[in-house]
Amino acid sequence: MLKIPVHRCKAITSGLKQLCISSESGYFACELFSFRYGHRLLSSSAFVCGKAVARKKPRENVEINGLEKITYAERMHYVPGLAKPIFPPWECKHKDPFHHRSPSHEEMPLYKDKPCYVFHQRTNLTEGVKQSLWLTKSKLIKGIPARIMALVDDSSHQIENQDERVQNAIKHARFWDTSERRPPRERFCPTLLNSLLYLCRLQQGKYPALGKRLLSQEYSLSASWHRGEDHIQVRGKNGMLLNSMSPLPVIAEKDEIQNTVDTNLETFYPISPTIDLQSINVYDVKTDTGFREGYPYQHVHTLFFAHLMDGQHEMLRAKMLMFAFGNALARARALYGAEPQVLEKPVVLQSVATNGRLFQFMVFQLNTTDLVSDSGVKNLVWIEEDQPLYEYAKVRPLIKKKVVQVPAGLAGYNPDTFKKFLAFYLHGAV
Amino acid sequence: MAAVMARLSVRQLSCMRGPALSANVNTNICDSTAKYPPILPSPTAKSRSAKRRRVAEFFDELRGLSVKDKLTSLTKFQRMKYVVYPQTFALNADRWYQHFTKTAYISGLPNKYSKSSHSIQDAAESGSQTTFSQIDDALFGEIRTLICDSLLQENCQVIKGRAFLYRALEHSIGPFLRNVASGLACILAKQSPLLRSSTFDSDPQVNFYWIRGKRNIPCGHRRGRPEPLRFQIDDRPHSQLRIQQQLPEFVPLGSEVSVEVPVVQHLPDRLPLFRRQYENSIYAGAKVDDPCCYGHTQFHLVPDHLRRDGVNKPKSGDHVEMAVRANAIASLFAWTGAQAMYQGFWSAEDVDKPFASQAIITDGQHFSFFCYQLNTLALTDEADANNTRKNLCWGTEGLRLYENINGNQVIGLNDDVIRLLVQFLLNGA
Repeated sequence: MLKIPVHRCKAITSGLKQLCISSESGYFACELFSFRYGHRLLSSSAFVCGKAVARKKPRENVEINGLEKITYAERMHYVPGLAKPIFPPWECKHKDPFHHRSPSHEEMPLYKDKPCYVFHQRTNLTEGVKQSLWLTKSKLIKGIPARIMALVDDSSHQIENQDERVQNAIKHARFWDTSERRPPRERFCPTLLNSLLYLCRLQQGKYPALGKRLLSQEYSLSASWHRGEDHIQVRGKNGMLLNSMSPLPVIAEKDEIQNTVDTNLETFYPISPTIDLQSINVYDVKTDTGFREGYPYQHVHTLFFAHLMDGQHEMLRAKMLMFAFGNALARARALYGAEPQVLEKPVVLQSVATNGRLFQFMVFQLNTTDLVSDSGVKNLVWIEEDQPLYEYAKVRPLIKKKVVQVPAGLAGYNPDTFKKFLAFYLHGAV
Repeated sequence: MAAVMARLSVRQLSCMRGPALSANVNTNICDSTAKYPPILPSPTAKSRSAKRRRVAEFFDELRGLSVKDKLTSLTKFQRMKYVVYPQTFALNADRWYQHFTKTAYISGLPNKYSKSSHSIQDAAESGSQTTFSQIDDALFGEIRTLICDSLLQENCQVIKGRAFLYRALEHSIGPFLRNVASGLACILAKQSPLLRSSTFDSDPQVNFYWIRGKRNIPCGHRRGRPEPLRFQIDDRPHSQLRIQQQLPEFVPLGSEVSVEVPVVQHLPDRLPLFRRQYENSIYAGAKVDDPCCYGHTQFHLVPDHLRRDGVNKPKSGDHVEMAVRANAIASLFAWTGAQAMYQGFWSAEDVDKPFASQAIITDGQHFSFFCYQLNTLALTDEADANNTRKNLCWGTEGLRLYENINGNQVIGLNDDVIRLLVQFLLNGA
């Protein structure tokens, strides 16, 4: 039976395997598995089914002192019986980027023995916000600060036809933005964020201070600090940054800042606080806002993130906090110098993230740049989690057991979320 | 009986009725007018008249449909079509594109925008002077600051890595243009109620499909038969402003324009243009349900190979101008045409009011301004037979916004260009 052509053997083999398992005939099974290597898989290359041949061991080079090797170098071709010549490594005279060999890490000028832990845009922290609170020495307060909540509740700051226009923006992002049936998340999430930003910015006639801001699409941040024994950095590009000429007003007053001395940072022993951060040895210790000197919009206003995933909101909030902290630290060092200190005038910065439906709001206040020890003044962060702008945006209705569960179109619009978004945007200009 | 009658052809019917009618002539001649069914070609025969009847019936059916159904029906039939790329490298593409879209190109801007060359009376009629006079010095200063700051931010103040090959303009000028376009619209929203209710799309998609001209099929089993030439534009402007009301026309629909549309006798393959078959689509940046269904202004970035500083060959300036013109004609025709089709117009139901939209094409330093007025959608051979209307496109050559950027300063910022930008965005206010 085993002599049938190989390509037909698969079905029979699987049948026989069942037989072998039932009759517990191990020997037979071994015979069958050897057939896998000749198998033709027509949907892909035959190579994937090929047996990997073990590489031959290289022959040992025996060096005998005082004995000169006779090689075939002079003959310029292989000669049996003569030794293989060993030449010095060839060096190209010009700089060829296609054959560039970088030196080993140890030989690089920026190599340091002590590793640095780097947070960048692809880092996902296991412990989420708790871990980033420890890394940034911050105290978490749930909810939005009262100063911004006052803006949310004040109906005089609303846009005319606000609900209709926001719903149109959602519908545009979710239904109308493509000639196909529905746009993917990579498309509708940034579109929705941009439309809402444009809607907010149209209020410039009412609030002239909004004109003193400029959006920067791609900026590259680097901020580094010491936390305990570890050296930590936030690096790279992420999010859109709204810069402003004037700083945001301080949210927590002095006595509230002083109260943070008593709070203890939450630990998550036995997990290391630097888990999931990339550990590197070649790095430069610098703190850089991403903008050159003389940039007129020297204060950070809000950091916007478009989160192109459904889920992982805890990681997103951790990322928001880390980047907000990095930006605040860089600006504080640019304004007040690099020495660790409790800031006379704290740096405040906001962060808003969306995945196209849920919004995360965050306000960060940098009170201190002295981050080495766990004691002393802590930074403050306010987080409002998972605010839905709408419940469902369905192109086709969701039907289960012949009952329409969710109708087609936009459902469950929540006007409060945009009010918060608008309040965050207007904060500092009203 | 009725079934039998239906099966008989028209000729047989007339034969049958002949004697009967003649018998009754004397009695009924005064009171009845003869009620013959109209003599129509057969709907199923393989003849030209039969085909014409089928087409006419299909068109009548289309006229009664809703806009969505119209668009579906008009784009459902797939055949090989010429794909027109707005940003092309082909030589003299602007003349060809004018021919495809039946567009007359007028050098210079409409009367609305030109100050010096026309009398004050014209300007007062069009109303542009009044709109621009609303802009006081403070507002103009604000706009100047916005443009300067955005320029400086993207050119020297943000620390940026090197751009990908042939993506340098997207990398540096793209964010600048987005900031300036949306920022200007927001600043001017105070003056213009149109902009207050506008929508700003970044990186939108615009598609248009149309039929123009005819060719004889050269080979194959349908050799010698006429076939219409189909065209498709798939455009991706950098950003665009859409509004809820229509922009006012630049010239009235019936006005005489002396400029002729160039006619190209060759097939589009010679441009060269290539034919592909895929889904036909007509799309103006949003689906039909969107209330912001009219276009205001499109912003385009020129492709990287058309940068003026990169092209050093003699006469290359003309080459760039030509390519920019071709880009404007193709993009604006596609966008304006799609807007008109969203209002239910198509080749057999021509527009009753002109549709207008504008475009600004830039490489960061040179700004070209274009206005387009769509007067006709009847571009197929049958509809175009007695059609004297033509589409109009006005445009300027590249105007220099600034001379140079030195350190943290913009040198030689040209206020006229900024003024023109403001006037463009204030159109319809």
